[in-house]
This record gives sequence, structure tokens and C-alpha cells, in this order.
Amino acid sequence: MIAEIQIQELFKKYPKGTEALKGVSLEIQKGQFFTLLGPNGAGKSTLVQILTTLINKDSGSFSIAGLNPEANQSRIQKMIGVASQDNEIDPTEKVENLLVFQCRLFGLTKPEASKRANELTQLFELDKERSKKAGALSGGNKRRLHCALALVHRPRILFLDEPTVGMDPVARANFWEVITQLNTQEPVTVFLTTQYLDEADKHATEMALIIAGEIKYSGTIIGFKKMVNPNGVMSLDDSYLQFVKTVSNPETSKN
Amino acid sequence: MNTANILLIERGLVKLIKNPSAPIMGFGMSLFFLLVYNAGIGGIGSMEAFGAGGYLSFVFPITIISLAMGSSAGAGQTLNADMQSGYFKRLYLSPAPRWILVVAPMLADTISSMAFTILLIAIGATFGVSFQFGLLSVLGILLLSFLWSLTLCGFSAGIMLRTGQYQSAAIVTNAVFPLLFLSTTFLPRELITAKWLLAISWGNPVTYILEGNRFLLAGTSSASFFYIGLLIFSITSVVSVTFALRSAKKIKV
Repeated sequence: MIAEIQIQELFKKYPKGTEALKGVSLEIQKGQFFTLLGPNGAGKSTLVQILTTLINKDSGSFSIAGLNPEANQSRIQKMIGVASQDNEIDPTEKVENLLVFQCRLFGLTKPEASKRANELTQLFELDKERSKKAGALSGGNKRRLHCALALVHRPRILFLDEPTVGMDPVARANFWEVITQLNTQEPVTVFLTTQYLDEADKHATEMALIIAGEIKYSGTIIGFKKMVNPNGVMSLDDSYLQFVKTVSNPETSKN
Repeated sequence: MNTANILLIERGLVKLIKNPSAPIMGFGMSLFFLLVYNAGIGGIGSMEAFGAGGYLSFVFPITIISLAMGSSAGAGQTLNADMQSGYFKRLYLSPAPRWILVVAPMLADTISSMAFTILLIAIGATFGVSFQFGLLSVLGILLLSFLWSLTLCGFSAGIMLRTGQYQSAAIVTNAVFPLLFLSTTFLPRELITAKWLLAISWGNPVTYILEGNRFLLAGTSSASFFYIGLLIFSITSVVSVTFALRSAKKIKV
């Protein structure tokens, strides 16, 4: 069976010489809640940008739902939803208009678009904000709207690139409730990058750890914790810190 | 045309209606030219070289040309705003073809310019501008105006995309402005005495849109100017749209 996201030997070098990805290979099965972890500048966002066809790879191959995204860009966009680090919203438009327009871009009819916009404003608790301009929303509500826009077309794969940055604890809890529901009920495959390891630990089951463009671990989160500390129970946060320290500076960590 | 393309063009038009400063400035500038030139030097319109349409019909094409120039100075403002806010990335991740993300706002700018051109033609007709082929003349003027406007909007948007600065869209207007004065703008060819100016006017593309319009208005020029103008501005439209699309590839989303 072909994995939902299949990545083989992906390389990416930026014009200034930074090697962002050095032969990344991964397999993410349908319906998995997967998280890609790694320090800042490790290559996480680059990988997400390549998988979502925002930038081109140098070499290697990848497929989304069995399709080559570079040759099926339009079909792929209908399958994936992307919520990245920055709020991609038009600040001059009203919340409801933005949602309806986004739905229409994905091929929904006017009545379908209005219905879906209603669902999403309720789901993300934006009911009271629907006639406000997006630019007038609070930081947390802008994030909610940004995430709602990624879901208008009921994607089968969700790419969440540090999605909860800037959300207050209540908004975060609400956001994860929506995402886990989608993951368990639909089931939507989730590809998450985050620096909040407690969130990854709580919601994801599979993970990969990328450091300086190379995958250092790929498997289950439970497996990762056992690998780092076979005898005891450690949180993902502690396991991650210990592992990164070991990989970054093997001599020091031995002492 | 698919729904996403129409939606994006509609959006560009709505944005222009909400923020109409550029097309309104272009329209105001055109009316100003028409008023000032006709009032200041309209008296020479009784000379034979200006034909039966008088000076008003003779000078009218300059208002159409300047209208498109004014509008193109604001070309790409929607595109620029989307790039600044990050919304362009959201559109980029939709199933809409990526070329339409650049072409839609350009088309919206051009359509807005055309709407103001129609208004200008109506005002001109009210004040006595003659259209020798009636509706066909109007359609011919609109066609030339569309190609001229698309050319300017394409180059303006392309330069804005490459520099990443909205203000740089005005570069095209500033570059084209001197061409207005190196042509048969104020006087017919036979009344221009400087040979160097006559020589330059032959190579100046603005001459062909001016004289092409004059053929359609009072018939003071030959049809060949209209046909050559169509050819020139069809080519420049293709070049400018291609330039804008190539410039779009340099956008970092």
C-alpha cells in the first residue's frame, strides 16, 4: 500500500548555500497524526513548503495520496489544507466574506460556501466576529480564522506548521479539539511541526526528528522515548532535549 | 473560464471599487487635459488640417491615452496588498491556476480603465467629439485602449513584482510620459516644422494609437495607423503579460 505521504531522498539547497534538506526520506500512513520535530533552522518549514508545492525541491521524489504534486498541483491543493506560521488573511475583508470566498475558490457553490462558513465560524468560535474585518480581530482570533481557512474544503491531509503560535490556552485547547476530532473521525492525516512538544506528545502518535536537514529518528513517539531512556519514563520534552544534546555534542553528553 | 478565475477577477474589481484612487486620478487627469488643451489652443481647430471634427476631436485621443497611463500607475495595488498581508500565499495554495493570481488583478485594472474610457467617450460625444464610423469607431477606440492599457498594466505590475515596491508601478507612467510630447499630440504632422520631431514620431508607438484614434474620430489620419497600432499594441500586450508572469515567478511565498 502506498503511504499517504511518501518522501524519498529529498534534497534542497538555498541560493546562499544553506543545505536545508540532505536526503530526507519519510513515510506517513493515511490517518496518522504525525509530528516533525527539530530545532530552529533544522529544515522543518522547508520540508512543509516543498510538500505543499510552495517551493521546488532540488532532487529526490515525493508523493501525496499517491500523486506527484508537481504534476498535479491543482488536484493536490484540493486534498491538502495548510496552516502555516504566519496569518495568511486579507485584513480588509470581513471574516465571513473571507471564508465564503475561500470555499468558492475550492469549487463550492454559493449556498454550500455559506453553509461551510457557518460551520467553521461555529467550530472555531468566531460567530461573534463574522462581520468584523479580519484586520480588526485579536491575535488569537486571527489565528483561528487562519486555521479555519485551511479547512474550508475538508482536506484529507492537513499540514500544520507551528499552528498554535500566538493562541491563548483556551484557543489552543479548542483548536486541538477540532484537529483531533478531524483526525479520529474523518480520518484526516495530520502533518504537524511545532516547538510546543507537550502538544506533540499529547496529540501525535508518530514522529520524526530532523536536525540540520537530516532525519535522526523516525517512528512512534513511544519508541523515541524508549530509545532515549530505555529504563525510565521521560516526557517527550525531556527525551527530545537529551537526544538533541547528544546529537549536537556527543563528547559533552558522554561526560 | 473556470469559476476560480472569474472569482479572482471579480475580487480585483471589487478591491478597485473600494479603493478607486488610481483610476479616478487617471480619469481626472484626462478630463483636465481635455479641458485645458481645448480651452487653451482650441482656437486653431478651425484650420483645415484638423478636419471637420475641430480641435476637440483632434485632442480627444490624448485624454484616452493619459487615462490608461493614470490607471496603470496604480496597477498591481491588489497584488501588492495581498503579498504584504501574506494572503497571496493563501491564494497560492488554492486550486486556482497560479498564473491567474497575477493576471486577474491586471485584468481588473484594465477593465476599470475601460469603464472610465467609456465614460470619457460619452462626455466627449456630449461636447461634440465626432465619431466617423459611429459605434464601430467607439469599438475601435475601446480595442486600442484595451491593448494600450493592458500593456501599461502588465509592465507596471511586472516591475512592482520584481522590485517588491508598490510605488515602482509608477515607473512605467513616468517612462511613457515623454513619448506623449514626441509625437503628433498637439498638432497634425503637416504643421510640425521640426524634422527631428517628425522623424522621432514615426518610431514612437504612441503616434500610432493617437493617429489610429484620429482615423476613427474625425478621419484626419489614414486607416493604416489604426491597423499598425493594433499590431504594435497586440504584440506589446503579449510581451507585457509575459513579463508580469515571469516576474511572478520571482515572488517568494
